[in-house]
Amino acid sequence: MIFSYLAILGPLLAAAAVLALRRGAAPLALVGSFAGLAGASLALAHVAGGASRSAELPGLPGLPLRLVADPLGALLSLVVGAVGFLVMVYAVGYMEGEGSGARFYAGMSFFVAAMQALVLAGDWVLLLASWELIGFSSYLLIGFWFWRDGVPSSATRAFLYTRSADLGLYVAIFVLISRTGTSEISATLDVGSPAATVAGLLLLLAAAGKSAQTPLQGWLQDAMAGPTPVSALLHSATLVAAGAILMIRVSPLLPPGVRLAVGLLGALSAVACGLIAVSQRDLKRLLAASTSSQYGLMLLAVGAGSPVAALFHLVAHAAMKSSLFLASGVFQHARGSTAFTDLAGVGRERRLAFLGFVVAGLALAGVPPLSGFFSKDAMIAASFASPYAPVFGPLALAGALMSAVYVARAIRLLWHSTGAGSPVAGSGWMGAGLAALVALAAALGLAEGPIAGLIGQDIPRNLLVAGVGLALALGGLLLGWFVPAGRLLGPARGPAERGFRLGGGFDALAARPALALAGAADRFDRGIHRGVVGVGESALALARAARLADDAGIDRLIAALVRGTRGLGGRARRLQSGLVHRELVLATAGAALILAFLILGAFAP
Amino acid sequence: MLLQTVFLAFFGLAAIWFAVVVFRTSSMVRSALALLFSQAAIGTMFLAMQTEFLGVLQIMMMATEMAIMAIFMVMYMMDPGGLSGMDMTHQKRVSIAAGVLGTAVAVGTALLVDWGPIAGVPRPGAQVHDLGIELMERSMLIFETAGVTILTAMVATTAIAIGPRGPRGGVDD
Amino acid sequence: MAPLYVALLVGAVLFGVGLYGALSQTNLVMIMMGVEVMLGGAMVNLVAFWRFLHPETYSGQMFVLIVMTVMALEMAVGFGVGTGRFRAKGSVEMEEARDLKG
Repeated sequence: MIFSYLAILGPLLAAAAVLALRRGAAPLALVGSFAGLAGASLALAHVAGGASRSAELPGLPGLPLRLVADPLGALLSLVVGAVGFLVMVYAVGYMEGEGSGARFYAGMSFFVAAMQALVLAGDWVLLLASWELIGFSSYLLIGFWFWRDGVPSSATRAFLYTRSADLGLYVAIFVLISRTGTSEISATLDVGSPAATVAGLLLLLAAAGKSAQTPLQGWLQDAMAGPTPVSALLHSATLVAAGAILMIRVSPLLPPGVRLAVGLLGALSAVACGLIAVSQRDLKRLLAASTSSQYGLMLLAVGAGSPVAALFHLVAHAAMKSSLFLASGVFQHARGSTAFTDLAGVGRERRLAFLGFVVAGLALAGVPPLSGFFSKDAMIAASFASPYAPVFGPLALAGALMSAVYVARAIRLLWHSTGAGSPVAGSGWMGAGLAALVALAAALGLAEGPIAGLIGQDIPRNLLVAGVGLALALGGLLLGWFVPAGRLLGPARGPAERGFRLGGGFDALAARPALALAGAADRFDRGIHRGVVGVGESALALARAARLADDAGIDRLIAALVRGTRGLGGRARRLQSGLVHRELVLATAGAALILAFLILGAFAP
Repeated sequence: MLLQTVFLAFFGLAAIWFAVVVFRTSSMVRSALALLFSQAAIGTMFLAMQTEFLGVLQIMMMATEMAIMAIFMVMYMMDPGGLSGMDMTHQKRVSIAAGVLGTAVAVGTALLVDWGPIAGVPRPGAQVHDLGIELMERSMLIFETAGVTILTAMVATTAIAIGPRGPRGGVDD
Repeated sequence: MAPLYVALLVGAVLFGVGLYGALSQTNLVMIMMGVEVMLGGAMVNLVAFWRFLHPETYSGQMFVLIVMTVMALEMAVGFGVGTGRFRAKGSVEMEEARDLKG
């Protein structure tokens, strides 16, 4: 178990060190991710025999946290560690000359640590926590260039879409834990209907959000605003894989009705996102739509009842898609943008990167002997072997066709015509990472057997379906090369380009209401603040009024009193005229008064 | 009784008339003499009311006093002869009002009070004898006090009248 | 009865005349004459009261004696003050006596 700990702690400590030291970020991140990779591979070696290790950590009362290194988890841990390390190598070259390096490498390392925790989680609480953490790191990394137009809103939209879909995960976990009384994942998988149906559908909702399935695919398009290493690591191989990983893990739980729903959703995504990919005018957006489409095929395989096929394609896809993204990053540095109009002919300049792009692309399209042929073949075979073959099969074939078409289209657009580009800095590092991943993409077909042995299930094989699939792949390549997208899609091109948004899409349904609520809460808080300040102001005003009353009222009263007394005194002074005869009159009057009192006193009772 | 009334009325009117003349004439000597005659009339009234001692005393005293007063008037007054025609009065209205008010109050009191029966009177000889007894027995203290007061007044008057010593002037000037 | 009233009336009128004189004259001597007249009126009243109401007690006559003494004293002191004033200011006109003016 110590190696699995290393797989998590290596990148985590690297992230902490980068944040604390703020210098030497790139070497620290490389060391951390290499340690993680080493740990993951050693752990896989340990559990290769089919054994599994687990560890318990203190958690909530009655719900301890569990880390489990079973064959599935160890394999995924290796995938995450390998892609993480190679993309980190690439990123050293990509981010040369870019500022805020500490923030980037800390974010990437933290993400890798969280993803490792997710794949090794043995209980729902840890899985939920790491699920949220990868969403959070995605938000941080997409919004890396937050001062550019549109970047913060893309990051917020991505976060809000996935977060609202995560409701499904929360409620499903509540249902499962309350039904079984424990949070251990494997123990909760044999709960009966109707809890299984409810939980399964809710988990499908969460997976659809995380893996950018229809109708939640919009956020992945906008997530391309982040740096290309982020797109390569998060949004092709690992974060979006979390949805598929969740589905693979809980596949024993799903009753047949839910399986149908899973498969249908996956198939629908595969076809719709494939169309979107064909219509795109931007390379990275094309690759993002392709990611959604491929994960749709994986969900289709899970729904068809063969999670092993989905797992195999997940591993292969991780290598293929990430190398496609890395190559596009090189092109982006050469031309300064990712739109096809700017990238025309860049393939002729950057031949090595273009070669990598072509190899990975053909693998994705399903050309033998590259890995994609085997994995896609397994998935189509699984779909034809399932009880719902009439529905799943044609849709799977359509998905495979689409993937060939858009790959060919992308290659053509990159090759044709010439344009001028600028020299690319850091191409040594970038090339190293790219080359390693392309090699993996090519060679992973050989891993089919070992993976099947590891998991203990057979990978479906169907020669007829393989032949049909190959034909479709070649035909799709030709179509994509020779026929422009407008002719191909016809009137559907406009809606497809916009991602088939319905009624404003999830912007109107989820993102905008959430932001409006946040704004209302902010206004309410400000209102309370104003209220409190107002109370203080009114107290001050009261004090001012009191002072005014004192100044104007009481002081004036006293002054008037003084004036009155002075006036009376002045008038009394006139009595003191000093003239004797006046004094005599006064004396006479006084005497008369006294006399009167004396006389009246005699009559008093 | 009737005779007494007539005499009282006659001499009373004389006293009043002479008192008015005191203030209405502008000659100082005539004023002094009018006052003398007024006081003499009062003394005669005393005699008419059968208090011989007091009456005689009054007449004697007033004669001497008025003579001295005449000297002083001539000394200090601006116009002793009274021929200049100056009006030597002030605050006429106030003083007339005061006089009338005083008279009215006194008259009112005299007329409205019930004085009781008239009593008889002792013989003059007996009066003087009893007055002497009264003086020497009961009123001795009064007279002693009066005597001391007189002495004090005399000393004080002399002191005031002498004036300041030194170059400004004194009794030898 | 009648003599009593006559005497009292005379005394009242004398008092009023004396008061008028004391208040209206400008000269000190004339003021003192007014006081003399007032005191004369008082004496008349006193004697009338003794003679017609209480002839047995001689305090009435005693009072009159005191009043006479007071009359003499008052005149003496008054002339002394007048002399002193005449020396200081050259006149005894009360209109000019504004020394105590407040």
